[in-house]
Amino acid sequence: MIYDEPKFLPGGDRFIEMELGNELNFDLNFLVHSLSAKIREAEITGLIELLPNMASIVISYDPDLISFSDLKREVLGHYHNMGSLEGMELLSPIYYIPVLYCDPVTRGCWEDYCAKIGEKEYDCDVLVRLNNLDGYEQLARIHSGTEYWVAALGFYPGLASLIALDPRCRLTAPKYNPPRTWTAKGTIGYGGSVTCVYPANTPGGYQMIGHTPVPVCDMDQRLPAFSQDLALLRPGDRVRFFPVGQEEYDYVERRVTAGDYVHNVAHYAKFSIRAYHEWLETLDMKERF
Amino acid sequence: MKFDTPKFMPGGDHFILVQFGDDASIDLNFMALGLTAAIKAEEVTGVVDTNPSYNSLVVEYESDDISYADLQTELAHLIDGLGSVENLELDSRLAYLPVVYLDPWTRDCVADYSEKIAPREYDPDFVADVNGFEDAKQLARIHSGTEHWVVAVCSTPGLPLMRALDPRCAITSPKYNPPRTWTTLGAIGVGGLSSSIYTTPGPGGYNLIGRTPVPLWDPRQRHPVFKDRVVLLDAADRVKFVPISEEEFEYTEARVADGSYEFNITAYQRFSVGAYKKWVSSLNQDGQF
Amino acid sequence: MALSVEVIKAGLETSVQDFPGRYGFWEQGFPPSGPFDMWSFRLANVLVGNGPEAAGLECQFMGPTLRFSEDCVVAFTGAEMNPTLDGEAFPMWESVAVTAGQVLACGFARVGARAYLAISGGIDVPTVLGARATFHMAGVGGMEGHALKDGQSLNVGAGAGAGAGVPGRRVKQDCRPAISDNKEWQIEVVQGPNDDWIADDGIERFLTSEWKLQARSNRTGYRLEGPDWIFADKASAKGPEHGEHPSNILDHGYPVGSINLCGQTPIILVNDAPSAGGFINPFTVPSAAFWKLAQSKPNDIYRFRRVSVDEAQELRRSIDRLCAVESIA
Repeated sequence: MIYDEPKFLPGGDRFIEMELGNELNFDLNFLVHSLSAKIREAEITGLIELLPNMASIVISYDPDLISFSDLKREVLGHYHNMGSLEGMELLSPIYYIPVLYCDPVTRGCWEDYCAKIGEKEYDCDVLVRLNNLDGYEQLARIHSGTEYWVAALGFYPGLASLIALDPRCRLTAPKYNPPRTWTAKGTIGYGGSVTCVYPANTPGGYQMIGHTPVPVCDMDQRLPAFSQDLALLRPGDRVRFFPVGQEEYDYVERRVTAGDYVHNVAHYAKFSIRAYHEWLETLDMKERF
Repeated sequence: MKFDTPKFMPGGDHFILVQFGDDASIDLNFMALGLTAAIKAEEVTGVVDTNPSYNSLVVEYESDDISYADLQTELAHLIDGLGSVENLELDSRLAYLPVVYLDPWTRDCVADYSEKIAPREYDPDFVADVNGFEDAKQLARIHSGTEHWVVAVCSTPGLPLMRALDPRCAITSPKYNPPRTWTTLGAIGVGGLSSSIYTTPGPGGYNLIGRTPVPLWDPRQRHPVFKDRVVLLDAADRVKFVPISEEEFEYTEARVADGSYEFNITAYQRFSVGAYKKWVSSLNQDGQF
Repeated sequence: MALSVEVIKAGLETSVQDFPGRYGFWEQGFPPSGPFDMWSFRLANVLVGNGPEAAGLECQFMGPTLRFSEDCVVAFTGAEMNPTLDGEAFPMWESVAVTAGQVLACGFARVGARAYLAISGGIDVPTVLGARATFHMAGVGGMEGHALKDGQSLNVGAGAGAGAGVPGRRVKQDCRPAISDNKEWQIEVVQGPNDDWIADDGIERFLTSEWKLQARSNRTGYRLEGPDWIFADKASAKGPEHGEHPSNILDHGYPVGSINLCGQTPIILVNDAPSAGGFINPFTVPSAAFWKLAQSKPNDIYRFRRVSVDEAQELRRSIDRLCAVESIA
């Protein structure tokens, strides 16, 4: 639910965790990011940084410049001045990312885990079984059938948490227990009801369902998409995956290696909350791609 | 070029043509679609129908309810209200249509023409050549890399006349001369600077590069998506083609036939002309998918 | 001639850090990094006359062996690593004149765990995302994104501090953090943000138990061993998107210093920790206690003392006051 009044919880001497609700709810996340944008614009003295996530914002502040209670009061003021969620619109770029589903790279990573840490069902089989799917093709069709909203960045540089905008495409998946010690960069992961693209070779616990050769984080800023930033995605952006075969995957990989890969991003549509709610009403939730 | 003031011309006794310019600049289409939306929003008395095109709009009216002169005045007033084209924002759905590029069915159609009417090179190779692409696969990559703007729905029921929004994906090609006498149903064609989808198996002149199993119209309105409409797409919608395999085509075709196919259309975006222009000017025109 | 410092032996995990570390990129997944014992680090810079933003070296458990190419002024603070200069004992907490060609060597930390080396002029590595601090996991900052390696050469800035370094200055005894070899610590904590996920008797248990610092602890996280936590009803009566275990919560940002409860393992999130995740943070270690964490060793025992936000902020201010030239004799 979205709380009637947000909670302001202390995090040590210089952090506040502002909780706006307690569920994975797109409206709530939109509210988090709209409020974050508003707070940033306000340039509150003493406020250092914001870390928005699914349903909360962690605020870091300088206690020499502003007290916990004054900061809480100011932020709450901005919250109350937000106006209705229905009227909000956000210019939201959409990234098109090619994926080879149930691919050899992630299969190799799973095999390594089974050999060194413990036997486990193949990840794509886990997704198919738990979500009553026909098979890998339907997994690919459903996973790629929706736009994803970038709800948060965190845990690791460049790692974005993506939630499906089309509720018919929400799947569920448990996490690895214990987690993997490594995941191939570019792996498409699914954990809980969140999907992600691993930006680097990091430990991880999400089920691995595919792989993309397209980088989402580039510390060396080699490709043009990274000329301004190290990470591709920002909260409020959207991602659409599209399935490709091995041949197209290899082609893209060659271009990434050569340094001339052009990321596919369309940056001219405004995401409208009112229109999104209306659209949701038109969907038949019993149907699947 | 864009006219300083739009031209109004009568079309018989119950049509008025509004022309914004005489070339194919996309701004002219935005104006035509902006006016279309304004006419609908205002519910202008006496207007029966609107039929936008590249750079113009035909308005059908009931001469008992409004005179030509009054209608012209009203339309001029609405055009003023739109302001400059940069300020325009249009509701714009985005339809994801699966396509088999370089498919066997349109290949047969081209081969048939080549044998019976005039010898011709396989269309995708020809178009790739004419545009300086590496090969037909790159044509597919480029064609599917951009969202296509529906300029108008015309010629045959539900047929979307489209143009690429990403200028780096502009494809031009001469049309068949003479035209075909028949075309594969669902064929994707490119001709001039447009793309279209054949919604009837009739004659045609665009170069055939792929095929979609998704129906663009249904006079019997069998599927829920056609509940309030007969054609799938409207002018100002956008289309993103998603390359699929022949197996996936057959799967989709079967689901269309049994009525269980789920159309993949999102309707929560507003197209911002200002943002679009800004995005176009930010692109590195040398970059290519 | 520009001063450069040759790394003869890198030591165990020696890295370039600057204070306060990397800010403004947390939302993109970059933690602050920066010196773990900020108190000792800042005083080292004050000793050699550097501005507070100057970069220095953080040495962990065993420090490096370095050769200085030119005359300079250097200070060594924090853990006692028996530093020597050309074999002679090198005083801690004091600015020392070093002549060209001299070699500074360190052993294992006898008392405390982390030591800090400041050189007048500051260490000159490129700033990455606004800071010189090293974040090794992402390969960002410091010496090419990682800890020092044998054979590298560090450049030293010709900045405001160079030449301003005056040898023979000492930090007054009572202005230094009380680093000792006493294996027990009292660590301040502020209750929250997610204390309401723990039952009252669980809170009591946390505050009255001994917690042992596990060996697998580092700048990414300090793992603690101790009794099981007792969860409140809230931890189970929640939507499925939070996750199954009572310690699972919908992903949220992690304040630096959070005691992050992963299942039944509390991990204190410190300088290089992940910025967000899906576990609860029932308590947070405030800035003022970080030097204690930094100077503890595996198997040390922690007892946590609850303080209010106000008290924690006052403690921080009192340390800030000590990181100034007034602490120098």
